[in-house]
Amino acid sequence: MPRIARVFIKTGLIYFLASLLLGLASEFNWLQFPGMVPLFWHLLMVGWITQIIFGVSMWMFPGRTREEGFKAQLWGWLTYIFLNVGLVLRGIAEPATYLDEGSLWSVLIVISAISQVAAAVFYIIELWPRIQSKEQRRRQRKKKRERKKAKNEK
Amino acid sequence: MPTPSRWMIKASMLYMLIGFVIGAMILISKVYPEYSSVWNLLTVHIEVGIFGWIIQLTMGTAYWILPRFLKTKSRGNAKLALAMVGMLNLGILINVASYVSILHSSAIILGRVLELGAVALFIVLHWNRAVSYNT
Repeated sequence: MPRIARVFIKTGLIYFLASLLLGLASEFNWLQFPGMVPLFWHLLMVGWITQIIFGVSMWMFPGRTREEGFKAQLWGWLTYIFLNVGLVLRGIAEPATYLDEGSLWSVLIVISAISQVAAAVFYIIELWPRIQSKEQRRRQRKKKRERKKAKNEK
Repeated sequence: MPTPSRWMIKASMLYMLIGFVIGAMILISKVYPEYSSVWNLLTVHIEVGIFGWIIQLTMGTAYWILPRFLKTKSRGNAKLALAMVGMLNLGILINVASYVSILHSSAIILGRVLELGAVALFIVLHWNRAVSYNT
């Protein structure tokens, strides 16, 4: 399993635990804080489910690069960074806005929202070209081989 | 990857993007209440996030990845699979159109029936593929 998939899955597991703890805490009046319920749902659906889908699909879907590293898997790592920066900022800033209407929290919320949309775009850039039929994959591999051959002949 | 899976997975990515964009607008409106009208899209956010993204991606991936039939090497009736894709997406689009008042609110019943039909076809197509070929 490539490092990026492991990181996505392990981060997802942490959100899974955190979301369920939050869900449990929301049942006790003395543990509640504002914005808790939407945060619970988003940690569960984005932090856990979407994150594990991202990680597993980057690993299991055809056409992944075998090379490890940030540059080799640029769009995958950008997806990871932007998704989690967005989620963490939301986790901090959303409850904070209910307690203090400072402009800092508003800015962080906007950054969080844009960051998560950016993650969705980066994921599509990474995965979209990999959704191919066997025939399309064969043709793509053939083209790659021909390009490599032509390069070596030069 | 077979055609129904490719269509479902690509459609699910588009729904994911739409869901994230609407979610981002709703999140921003929490600190900028002058944009609170985007809360009208909350039901669309939930519909595309759950049915369009998560359920559709799961169904598309399962159709591709579950074991094929040993004798025919096929994934079952291809026409039924395409009907499943069509019904699920038509159901989602009808529901979304209904949420944004393009269609009457009762159209949701039709949308849900189509989604139900897609799930029934999904079960028919996959029931006998959830097997082990080890004896």
